[in-house]
Amino acid sequence: MLAYVIRRIFFGLIVLAGASLITFTIAYIVPADPAVAVAGAKADPQTLAVIRRQLGLDQPLYVQYARYADRAVHGDLGRSYIRREPVANLILSRFPATAILAVSAIALSLLLGVAAGALAAAYRDRALDNWLLAAALTLVSMPVFWLGTLLLIGGGLYLRWFPLGGFDGPLSLVLPTLTLALGSAAYYSRILHASLSEALDQDYIRTAIGKGLSRRAAILRHALPNAILPLVTIAGLDFSGLLSGVVLTETVFNWPGLGRLAFEAVFNLDLPLIMGTVMFSAALVVAANLLVDLLYAWLDPRIELGAGQS
Amino acid sequence: MRARVKTAVRPIRAAIAAIIFALALSACRAGSPAPIFPPGAQVLHLASLDDVPTLDPAAGYDVDSWMFEQMIFDTLIRYSDSGVDLVPDIAAAWTASPDSTVFTFHLRNDVRFSNGRAVASADFKYALERVLDPKTRSKGMEYYRGILGAADFAAGRAKSVAGIETPDPSTIVFRLSAPDPIFPHKLAMPFAAAVPREVVARYGEDFSRHVVGSGPFMLREWIGGQRIVLVRNPDYFVKGVPRLDGVVEAIGVNEDLQWFRFETGAIDLSAIPPAVFPFVMKTPRLKALTMRIVTMTTRYLGMNCQMPPFTDVRVRRAMNYAIDKRKLVAVINGRGIPANGVLPPSLPGYDPELRGYPYDPARARALLEQAGYPHGFAATVWLPADQTMMILAQSVQQDLALAGVDLKLKPVGFAPLLDAIRQPKTVPLFFSGWEADFPDPANFLDVLLSRAQWGANNDSWFYDPQFDALLARAKPLADPARRFALYREAQRIAVAGAPWVFLYFPVTWQIRQPWVHGLALNPMRPARLDRVWISPHPSAK
Repeated sequence: MLAYVIRRIFFGLIVLAGASLITFTIAYIVPADPAVAVAGAKADPQTLAVIRRQLGLDQPLYVQYARYADRAVHGDLGRSYIRREPVANLILSRFPATAILAVSAIALSLLLGVAAGALAAAYRDRALDNWLLAAALTLVSMPVFWLGTLLLIGGGLYLRWFPLGGFDGPLSLVLPTLTLALGSAAYYSRILHASLSEALDQDYIRTAIGKGLSRRAAILRHALPNAILPLVTIAGLDFSGLLSGVVLTETVFNWPGLGRLAFEAVFNLDLPLIMGTVMFSAALVVAANLLVDLLYAWLDPRIELGAGQS
Repeated sequence: MRARVKTAVRPIRAAIAAIIFALALSACRAGSPAPIFPPGAQVLHLASLDDVPTLDPAAGYDVDSWMFEQMIFDTLIRYSDSGVDLVPDIAAAWTASPDSTVFTFHLRNDVRFSNGRAVASADFKYALERVLDPKTRSKGMEYYRGILGAADFAAGRAKSVAGIETPDPSTIVFRLSAPDPIFPHKLAMPFAAAVPREVVARYGEDFSRHVVGSGPFMLREWIGGQRIVLVRNPDYFVKGVPRLDGVVEAIGVNEDLQWFRFETGAIDLSAIPPAVFPFVMKTPRLKALTMRIVTMTTRYLGMNCQMPPFTDVRVRRAMNYAIDKRKLVAVINGRGIPANGVLPPSLPGYDPELRGYPYDPARARALLEQAGYPHGFAATVWLPADQTMMILAQSVQQDLALAGVDLKLKPVGFAPLLDAIRQPKTVPLFFSGWEADFPDPANFLDVLLSRAQWGANNDSWFYDPQFDALLARAKPLADPARRFALYREAQRIAVAGAPWVFLYFPVTWQIRQPWVHGLALNPMRPARLDRVWISPHPSAK
């Protein structure tokens, strides 16, 4: 197990190095001058030349990348061109808001998704299943910016139960969490419905029911633990995506998370901040993948990590 | 069997625990509580989409930064609240030599930074040397290169700028290498605000987070992406100002959310989103709360004068006649004035007699025929990839189709667009615009259309020797009448040469709550809040 984790971390580092090189190269070949982004659209050529020299942008790509990589491995992600603050500080100041939203959203979507999926499978081809299918399709089809705006108008503007955006305590978490969770929950419910329906047709379920176990107990005790595994993979990947920031939801709800920071970085061609947010997100994806694999082993004792890889 | 049941409920328990954990954490981490102003305090609540990039006056060059910088810092001179006439700020008086090469400012002696130290002329000299120092990477350095010795200082050949003299703490003299009658306007930019050397030295690049100025407000709190809070500077040198006790701006609030918050009374000023603009105009109660100002901005469709078919002035004029500017303005809810030329009507030196190009598709077709394009031509227009620009471009596309021009739209990011239009013979057609830095025609005509700006801001690569000669004659003139007369003549040449389709001059609209008083919009700068006050109201916190 430990050897497996160490091996995965090693490969994770290779992925991060690759991600940094690709991002740096893309940022370099984008037909736009970061010096213009720093100096503004009105800057004269002399000012631009000074800024290019100051930022080392007049050096070849490999020199710029080597300098960046050297600083990065020493924990220095540089300073934002636009905000002029350390990139690490900017990322860390935004990450808590993103993490809180991601945890609550993934947890709520799993709760709702599992409940709805299990109910739909238990009442397969009956009215409840059809209603849940219709609800799921509706929610999956709703763009988050639209759903978020509806929730804001309903819950914030008219009912005034929740704040109109911002990050001001538990109540402010409710609407963005619902916005993110409802669509995912609908999607999860359909996945679980499919895998649970398949499990319910298996011999071991028929046997359990034949031996006198109630249908409810057979689903909860036997079918669900087997059917839930595909959901873990998808939810794990979704979680890493949520941790990297969700631009639309953050914009609709004035949520001060990483997504908006990354969007602003790209919009302003703020290279150090683009690199920082991409690397941070890549690290989260690598970590989330590892976590999902470990979770698999926790949920299903039949899975042995690292088996057959030696 | 028991173990399997536990396995099934594990994720559910974990999910419930995660939600409780997130809620608890959000209670702890949701920024620090909003600052508590005493009951009845006059606090103006604002909201904006973009975070303030910086509060360091040497670094900021955008509306959000300048709005706060002008509240925290003072310059020698500034613009009046609703106009573009220069009025004293820290300078009590100033003089200019007849040839506009020497400017002398006499400072008030009752001005202090909010750390208690008196503001002296050396603080202004330090601020400008900081801007000119390449290490600062200031966006404002180009405005002060005309000061004698600035080049030597920037190149490290001199320890200070020889052309800035501070004979005593209340006098500062600027000597320029060439006549520049608009130099005082450059001193009204936040780049030239006094900063305390000792605070900058202490915090270095982090000065932006620990700003100390002498302005009417002081920075109390700035949580990136969430809010910025200013409080009244009790020692501000103008008695009775500011009238507000504080200003709180929520950051990251999009236009629609701003409007919702405005409707609930949570914010005191708001932009008006396009979707609700017609509703506001039709609702007398709301319309009475709106404020409008014609900004010193121009929007245009640039044509590359070095790329066929736009090398032919008849084609460029045809494009001007073919596009219905009134329809364009209607597309943006009437928030603009159809352009008759380069200079906006709020700019001193504006030429009201200039007719420009009225909508005349028949004339456009005739001109194209004369130019050898009886069946029109195909072209690609580059534009910034945003929704408003797309709508405007589609309107232009429809108009040009009537004249036989098959226009393809190419939306690109703003930075690549900017980079491309500065390359010769790369972009044939593009949407662009310009906001004034100074209320002077030179800031439009010299910067956007002179030969010297090829590869920089002259993105249409226009050149007319007569036009350039007029600019050279006008530049050193301090007498506004003579100066503006020459610029009017130059503008007529530019309009006849038609390097752009002159589209429209944007109009800014804002809405305020009925309890907000004393607010004035400025055509060129963010509104100042020094004299704003709030009457008792139900939403008061």
